[in-house]
Amino acid sequence: MKATVATSVFAVFMALTLALGLLAVRARRGGRRERGLAEWSVGGRSLGTVFIWVLMAGESYTSFSYLGAAGWGYRFGAPVLYVIAYMSCGYALGYVVGPMLWAYARRHGLVGITDIVAHRYGRPWLGTAVALFATVCLLPYIQLQITGMGVVVSTISYGAISLNWAYFLGFALTTTFVVVSGLRGSAWVSVLKDVLVIATLGFLVVYVPLHYFDGYGAFLDRVVAEKPQWLTFPGHESGGLGQGWFISTTVVNSLTVVIFPTTVAGYLGARSADTLRRNAVYLPAYNVLLFVPVALGMAALFVVPGLTGTQSDLALFKLVTDSLPAWAVGVIGVAAALSSIVPMAVFMLVIGTMWGRSVFGARSGAGAGPGEPVDGAAGQRQKRWSQLVVVAAGTLALLLTYFAPQTLVRLSLISYEGMAQLVPMLLLGLVWRRFTWQAAVAGAVAGIALVCAAVFSGHDPLWGVNAGLLALALNVAVALAVTRFGPRARDARPDTEVLAVDDEFPRLTEGDRAVAVGAADSAN
Amino acid sequence: MRNQTPGGAPPGSRKRPALLWLLLPYVLFLAVLPLVNRLTPTVFGLPFLFFWMLLATVATPGAVWLARRGDLRRGRR
Repeated sequence: MKATVATSVFAVFMALTLALGLLAVRARRGGRRERGLAEWSVGGRSLGTVFIWVLMAGESYTSFSYLGAAGWGYRFGAPVLYVIAYMSCGYALGYVVGPMLWAYARRHGLVGITDIVAHRYGRPWLGTAVALFATVCLLPYIQLQITGMGVVVSTISYGAISLNWAYFLGFALTTTFVVVSGLRGSAWVSVLKDVLVIATLGFLVVYVPLHYFDGYGAFLDRVVAEKPQWLTFPGHESGGLGQGWFISTTVVNSLTVVIFPTTVAGYLGARSADTLRRNAVYLPAYNVLLFVPVALGMAALFVVPGLTGTQSDLALFKLVTDSLPAWAVGVIGVAAALSSIVPMAVFMLVIGTMWGRSVFGARSGAGAGPGEPVDGAAGQRQKRWSQLVVVAAGTLALLLTYFAPQTLVRLSLISYEGMAQLVPMLLLGLVWRRFTWQAAVAGAVAGIALVCAAVFSGHDPLWGVNAGLLALALNVAVALAVTRFGPRARDARPDTEVLAVDDEFPRLTEGDRAVAVGAADSAN
Repeated sequence: MRNQTPGGAPPGSRKRPALLWLLLPYVLFLAVLPLVNRLTPTVFGLPFLFFWMLLATVATPGAVWLARRGDLRRGRR
């Protein structure tokens, strides 16, 4: 009975999700007829502040937040705060980086980081190489979302839906709607997801302490009295996740998150550079919500003690299934499942775009010129390739989930720290003309090598510091040396063609500006 | 050879001092960590480290807002 109720609630919402995804694309076609790659990959660069906010919040607030954040809170305590810290710092940096990348991509008709790299250095093959590397880094995330969703669905259905079916369900739903509707569909579904996430977490944060502990004061007093180890660095039996690790991880992740391909997809979907600046003000506020699963994870310490290892990832759901009626469990499951689907959709979309544009597109030489290359006939062709790659990538992730789950788990260890090594190539390259592709590649290769060596030999963190940050330091040092002593670039294009120019700020009319400044002043 | 065009300077080369506000989260979350990595005093029952992190999280939108305000003022001139 409980299983039927929870599963029905879940099924209804999944149908709604698919409908929303399909509706998003129809709504757009009603207005203007745009079917090229730019419409699919970056929503025709037309999303306003609200959609960008929910989309970017949607990407970052994944099923990890439900499972991992609570799980880390349960197992280690304080070290989990790194997620909140790096997102806050990264979103603040996004105030500068977002509009810069947006303006650059818009001016040159680009749809992703591989495109940006290919254009900056005038080397299409470099875009291809970055696309291949980024795919290797992103695939584990898709698998992570598939397994995350599988675990959630299987738990909230009280076991009625088996893990394997739940994996397939997540894959099929996400692939269908991302192929059909692209970034715009993801943004629409994000709205549903955010409403549910905010509502369910808002409810849980009030309900759980009242239900189990006679309220907040009692809950907090008990944590402070009985679990002090969890409440400061280095946390409880965290194995070296001390202050040095926290600081270095926050620094390197905050740099990485601003150039992460999925973040950039969100940036490029914005209607204007100023949309992104406004968004950078509002987006960090979302991070306050992350304290909820952390607190619930710690509450689970008292309610369901003794979970070990990956079991602890279910800390939050053990509380939920233990204390709530079936329909409520279903709704919370939907919120968590959507927290897998939205990021998974964007990850797939980004992989598809990178391949359509920088792997197949680069070889055929299509869309290399300026203007609006992504919406013509070549753009149509690239979009079809991209959609094919989405299905292929999703299928691959699903198959690996079934048959070789450990492969991607191992890869996921280097994902974030590996992507960090592209930061100089992208950001330094866009503001510094002398930076050559040789320097960018040499630095990235050195950095990635160090990350792989440290992670696979089990030396991350290295000397109490995140190996990704050490690798990034090596990366920059090598890149600077090659720039200084290596070959000079022979590129006849003017700086304005190659670099990110500061011509997009503030792109307001005099009227807007007076209003905006007035508002800022009066709020002051 | 440099083909610098007027108005085409890279970001940051024109003075935007308000952008320094964007470093505030780094200061709050990271620079002062050794001072705030403690259990007591508890604030509203929250252990001090968690209270501080919550404060830093809430302050981040404010910091970005201050950076934006600086940019808007600069644009007015």
